[in-house]
Amino acid sequence: MAELFAKYFPNVISQGWSGDGGWLTAIGETFYMIFWPAIFGGLLGLFFGIGLVLTDTDGILPNKTFFGIFDKIVSFFRAIPFIILLAFIAPVTNFLVGTQIGTLGALVPLSLGLFPFYARQVQVALKSVDHGIIEAAQSIGATFWDLVFDVYLREARSELIRVTTVTMISLVGLTAMAGAVGAGGLGNMAIAYGYGRFANDITFVATFLVLVIVLVIQLLGDFLAKIFNHKAV
Amino acid sequence: MAVEAIKLEKVNVTFTQKNEKVDAVKDVTLHVEKGDIYGIVGYSGAGKSTLVRVINLLQRPTSGKVEVNGEILYEKDASGEKIISDKKLRARRRKIGMIFQHFNLLNEQTVIQNVAFALKHSNLKEKHILEKSNKLLDLVGLSDKADVYPAQLSGGQQQRVAIARALANDPDILISDEGTSALDPKNTVQILDLLKEINEKLGLTVVLITHEMDAVKRIANKVAVMEDGRIIERGDLISIFTNAKEKLTREFLGGGSAKAIATLQEYELGKLAEDEHLVQLIYMGSKVSEPILIKLYRDFNVEANIIYSNIEVLRETPIGTLFVVLKGTEDSRVKAIAYLKEQGVIIKDVKEQDVKKNG
Repeated sequence: MAELFAKYFPNVISQGWSGDGGWLTAIGETFYMIFWPAIFGGLLGLFFGIGLVLTDTDGILPNKTFFGIFDKIVSFFRAIPFIILLAFIAPVTNFLVGTQIGTLGALVPLSLGLFPFYARQVQVALKSVDHGIIEAAQSIGATFWDLVFDVYLREARSELIRVTTVTMISLVGLTAMAGAVGAGGLGNMAIAYGYGRFANDITFVATFLVLVIVLVIQLLGDFLAKIFNHKAV
Repeated sequence: MAVEAIKLEKVNVTFTQKNEKVDAVKDVTLHVEKGDIYGIVGYSGAGKSTLVRVINLLQRPTSGKVEVNGEILYEKDASGEKIISDKKLRARRRKIGMIFQHFNLLNEQTVIQNVAFALKHSNLKEKHILEKSNKLLDLVGLSDKADVYPAQLSGGQQQRVAIARALANDPDILISDEGTSALDPKNTVQILDLLKEINEKLGLTVVLITHEMDAVKRIANKVAVMEDGRIIERGDLISIFTNAKEKLTREFLGGGSAKAIATLQEYELGKLAEDEHLVQLIYMGSKVSEPILIKLYRDFNVEANIIYSNIEVLRETPIGTLFVVLKGTEDSRVKAIAYLKEQGVIIKDVKEQDVKKNG
């Protein structure tokens, strides 16, 4: 088995496990670039998504000005292609994390690239909460925070898990592009080592590993969305 | 004097949609007395739902005054706008229970959690919240369903949970916004009877919005008819039923005179001879029946020919409607009618042209 693998995937093996260009290093970098942007971009997206729904005309805090601001910011960042965003916000990145290259330098653009997408997804998820349920909660004297946490977020829980899954998967896609700023990861492995050095076996294995990550996220998301859903099917 | 639970004075609600103004409620004044079951009927779009949302300010009026249990919640006149603070409003809302056509339960919380949610700000300890929630579920007959999710319940059961939730803070008023409209006939009757039971046992004032007159006939003591944002007719149920002035009211009431006149028109039963007189007799309870008609013949020599009859139950009171042709000399007919009036029968002349085809 090992012999067979060595025969067909010689470059994969010569890459080694650790060190610069090693497989474990690449996998580690990919997880690093998924984890932190998911936290920062996720929270930012959640904030903007909630803001968009609450300040909308049929929300519980209708406010045209705030809605306009949230909407414009989200639309602006969504409109910029990620690869350009990387370069565009480089000074900001430098200011925030002290570098604009490497995995650390990729965190800021990844978070900023992710949040508008997630904000729109959260907006759609929260909009799925029936207005009648909100009205009923108001009729029993629910406070603003009751409405946000017990009604909007809790009622849309399963829907939020679903859109988080979709967002995480698109984040995996973004990490592949972060290779452009020398951030490493499996995407970089496939392009720089595999494609760049005509080592197709490396591209193949890197792609396979990315697919495994995507599949695990998808299955986990589907599972959680299902157990947290108590609505009629 | 009767105590007024709800007083709406000259309430207007105007929506602006894309530069277009829609007057949903126009200059409505409505007083609901404590202990009433007040039915508000009308077709969809008449403004009923908007009107009741004004009571707990889920809908803020454009102008007018909203008073609940003697306290002004909202007032807007020439001198400006007054509204109670958000915190007070939430406290008042807890004393005004509300149920909805589509139940509007929290889908991601169990039945007991749904009821307990209403008690979140009640100052009760968690243990007592659960105790009270269980008691409420017992009241609506669902104590065995405490730990299931709403989606696992039937429509009627979901509405019972909604009622338990609405009653959690011991409200004085319960508003039902088409609360039985999404239910099958059997559940409709059960929910209506439950509302009536609550009204009687707990002394709650009930406001019942519906487009189904049967719901009103079953439990309401007062009724208002809405059309195009206005209340066009109102009064206690029996007087509205026996003496509706507006065509729309009669249309809603069905059963009584509207159906009768349609029937009479259909078969041209209104053709009368010289010595005949068509009258509508309305009687309540079961005190009046055939013996009277026999007496008319025996004592007054007036023949009574029944051409239409119907009986309707309003709040457990049977109301009979008879269309009879009285035949006899004018003098004896007058005497006969006087006798019927003495017996407590309501008599209405039916003009020949009323019952002619296309008349």
